[in-house]
Amino acid sequence: MAVMHKTILGYVPDVSPIYRIHPFVRLFFLLVVSLFPMLISAPEWNLAIILVVILLLSYSKVRFATLKLYIPVSISMGVLIFSSYTILGGRHPEFRTVFTVLGFPFYYERIIAAVEVYARVLPMIFVMVLFLSTSRERDMLVAMRWARVPFVITYLTAMALRAVGMVIEDFSVVRQAEKARGFDPTGKSLAYKLRQFVMYIVPLFALALRRSDEFANAIVARGYSFTGLQNVSRPDYVLTKYRFRRMDGVLVAAISLVLVLILAARLGFGYLTLETSAVLRLLERWLGGGAT
Amino acid sequence: MNGTPYVRVENLVYRYLDGTEALRDVSFTLADGDFVALIGQNGSGKTTVSKCLNGLFKPTAGRVIVDGLDTRTTSITDMAVRVGYVFQNPDHQLFNSNVWDEIAYGPRNIQRPADEVKARVEEAVEVVGLKPETFDQHPFFLPKGLRQRVAIASILALRPKVIIVDEPTTGQDMKQSLEIMDFLTHLHKDRGHIVVIITHDMPIVARYAERVVLMARGQGLADGPTRDIFAQPELLAQTFVEPPQITQLAQAAAALGFAPGTLSVEEMLRQFEALR
Amino acid sequence: MTAAIRFEAYTWRYTGTQEPALKNVNLDIEQGTVVGIIGPNGSGKTTLAYSMNGLVPNQYRGARKGSVYVMEKEVMDFSQAQLCQQVGLVFSDPEAQFTAMTVEDEVVFGMENIGLTLDEIRARLDWVVPLTEIEPLMDKPPYEVSGGQKQRVALASVLAMRPPVIVLDEPTSMLDPLGRKRVFEVLGRLKREYQSTIVVIEHSLEYLVPLADVMVLLYHGEVLLVDEALPFFERMDDLLAHDVFPPGVLEFFYRLKVAGHYPVPSPLPLTVPSGAMQLRALMEVAR
Repeated sequence: MAVMHKTILGYVPDVSPIYRIHPFVRLFFLLVVSLFPMLISAPEWNLAIILVVILLLSYSKVRFATLKLYIPVSISMGVLIFSSYTILGGRHPEFRTVFTVLGFPFYYERIIAAVEVYARVLPMIFVMVLFLSTSRERDMLVAMRWARVPFVITYLTAMALRAVGMVIEDFSVVRQAEKARGFDPTGKSLAYKLRQFVMYIVPLFALALRRSDEFANAIVARGYSFTGLQNVSRPDYVLTKYRFRRMDGVLVAAISLVLVLILAARLGFGYLTLETSAVLRLLERWLGGGAT
Repeated sequence: MNGTPYVRVENLVYRYLDGTEALRDVSFTLADGDFVALIGQNGSGKTTVSKCLNGLFKPTAGRVIVDGLDTRTTSITDMAVRVGYVFQNPDHQLFNSNVWDEIAYGPRNIQRPADEVKARVEEAVEVVGLKPETFDQHPFFLPKGLRQRVAIASILALRPKVIIVDEPTTGQDMKQSLEIMDFLTHLHKDRGHIVVIITHDMPIVARYAERVVLMARGQGLADGPTRDIFAQPELLAQTFVEPPQITQLAQAAAALGFAPGTLSVEEMLRQFEALR
Repeated sequence: MTAAIRFEAYTWRYTGTQEPALKNVNLDIEQGTVVGIIGPNGSGKTTLAYSMNGLVPNQYRGARKGSVYVMEKEVMDFSQAQLCQQVGLVFSDPEAQFTAMTVEDEVVFGMENIGLTLDEIRARLDWVVPLTEIEPLMDKPPYEVSGGQKQRVALASVLAMRPPVIVLDEPTSMLDPLGRKRVFEVLGRLKREYQSTIVVIEHSLEYLVPLADVMVLLYHGEVLLVDEALPFFERMDDLLAHDVFPPGVLEFFYRLKVAGHYPVPSPLPLTVPSGAMQLRALMEVAR
C-alpha cells in the first residue's frame, strides 16, 4: 500500500514513477489537457479523458482512498449543473418534456445540455486532482521557474502556499481556542453561527499581521530586493535538481500534438460534437425519441 | 495528590485522523489542590492529553471523566465551565473589539443574566490585575503580557475549577515568568483552582509545581512529586528533559552527600552548610 | 584590530513612541568573539540586533542619532545586499522566518539573492549542511520540520552567505530544550572551528554563559554593563537588581562567595561539571 504524504493542497505518494517526469511537463499536462473538454462536446470523449487520468493516477501509485476528499466537489458540481439546467432553467414550451416531477417538466434538450456540461467539467476536475496528487509544492514552483515565469510571481506563489499552510494550522488552533471558551455552534441560530465568522477572522488576521512583519524582515535580511517583473538572472539552483530529459520533451510534444489533433477534428472535420456523439444517440433512445 | 478527585483520565488512547497514535493508555487523576506540570519532549503527547481534559479532543478509546461527566457525551459549553484552557498565544483566543466585551463573552455565551456577567467580569479583572484604563482598548494593540492577562481573565470569567495553561513562560523574561507563575499560584492557593501547566521550563517547574506528570511517546512515564521525578535524570532523559541546572549540580555531587532531588539554590546552600 | 561592529553614541526612537528604544549606546563587538546580550524584555535588545544588519533604519521609521559601523563602514552606507553579506540575522520565531517550501530552497534563497554561481552554491551547501546537521531534512516542506530544526535551517541559510558576523535574536526562546541544545551546539562549533563573530541575545543563560566571551547588560535602552563573562557575573547583585537571573550553578557559587565559603579570587564555575569539581575541592578543604 502506497504511503501518502499530506501537502497543502492534497495528498501525494511517497514514491512514484511520475516523479521522474519533469515538473514542467506535469504542469503543462494540467494546463493543456484542461483545455480539451472545452473543445469536445461529445460526452464519450470527455469520459475517455477521465479514463486516461484514472490510468495515470494508478500508474503514479496514488492511493485511491485519499481521493475521497474530492468526491463532494464532484457530486455538488453535478447537482449544481443538473439543477440549474433543469429545475432552475424555467419553462420552455418549445422543448420536449421527457418526464415531470411534482408538476415541473424536465426537458430533453435541457437534460442533454446538463449531461454535456457535466461531462466537460468532470475531466477538468480529474486533471486537477491528478496534478494535486502528483505534485509537491516545490514541483509547482520548479515548473513555473523552468517556464521562465518571473521570479517575483513564483516567489509570491511560494509565499501564498506557505501562508495558506500557516492559516490552515492557525485555523484549527483558533477553532480549539474558541471551543475552550464555550463556543458551541451545534444546534444554534444562524446569528450565532455568523458570529463564528468574526471569532475566526479576527484572530487569523491578528496572527497574520504580526507574522508579516517578521516575514518581510526575514526576506530582506537575506538580501532579497524587489526587481519588479524583470527576469534578473538568478542561479535557480533548485532547477538543477531536475533534469529535463528527452522523454519529457517527447511528452510535451505528444500533448501538444493531441491538442492540435482535437482542434483539427473539431474545427476541421466536425467530429467530437454532440451531433456525432454515440452517447447522445443512446440517451435519445433511452429518453424516448430525438429530434426528427 | 491531595483532595477529592475532580478529573479522572482512564486508559486514554488518542489517534489522529491519519492513524498516528498520539496517546496510548494514559491514566492519571487531578484532585482538589493539585498544581501539576505536564512535561516531556515535543511530540510526547502532553498537549494532546491536556486537550482531552476539556473535551477539545475526544478519546479514541478509554475515557476522561470531569466532575462526574464523560467528555465524550458532554457539551463543549458544559466542559468549558469546568476546565479552562489558556492557549500559548493569546492571539488565537482574543477577538472582541474591547477588553471588557472580551472577558464578558464567556459568561454572556452561557446565558448568564447581565448583572451576573458584570460581577464575573469585575471579579476576573481584579484577580488578573487589569486596570480600568484598559477596558475600552482593543486587545490587539495591548502588549503581549497584558494580552495574556486578558486571555486568562476571559477564561476565569467562566469560573472553571481546572485551569490549564499552555507554556505560560515561553518567550517571557524571568521577571514576567515569575509574575505569571506567582499569579497562577495565587489562583491555586487562594482561589481553589486546580492548575495544570504545560511547559519546557524546568527551573519554573522546580519552583512552582508540586507534582509532575512526565510524558514520553504518548505514555505517562512518571507521575509524582516534583522532587522525586527530578531526582531521576535517567528517567527524564528518556524524553529529553533535563532537570534544572542546580539539580544537575546536586546530582553530579551526589557522592559528596547532596540530595539528587535538590530543587533550588537555597536548598543547595543549606545542604552545603550541613555537610561542611 | 578593527571592531566587527561599533556603536557610537547611537540613539534610536521609533516613530510614535515617547522614549527612545536605545539611548546613547556605545559598544564594540570585537572580531572573533562571542558576545551575549541580556536584559529584560523591552530593553531594546531586538532594536540593537536590527540596527546591526540595517533593518533599523531601512524597514522601520524612527529618529536616528549617532552611528553604527560594520567593519568601520557606516551601516547606512551599505546596500542591503552588501550588508546581509556582512551581518547575518537569525530571528526568534522559527515559523515566520521560513519562507520557502522546502528546506533546501530555504538555505539556497539567500545565496541566490547575492548572485553566487551554481558551483559556489553547491560548495557552500556542502559546508553549511553538515555544520548545522540538517542533511536528513533537505527535501522536507516546512510543515514537516520542527521548531528546533527550523532554527538550524535558519542558521544554515544565514551562514550560507558567509557573513563575518552572525547575530541571533533570542534564537531558542520558542524551542524545546532539545532544540535549544542543538542550536547552541552549532554555535559552539562555529566558535571553535571558525572563530566567527557571534552576537547572541538570550534569556536562557544556561547554554549562553559557557560560550560567551563578553557579556552585555542592556536595560531600558542603555548599556549598563559590558565585561568579560566571568567578571560580568561577579556583579550578580547588579544583575539581579536589573531583572537578570543567573543560571543556578553561577548563583550558588556566588552566594557561597558572598558567605565567605568560596575563595574570592577563584573564578565562578560556569558549568555543572566544573561546579561539581569545585564543590569536591571545597568539601575536601572543609574536612
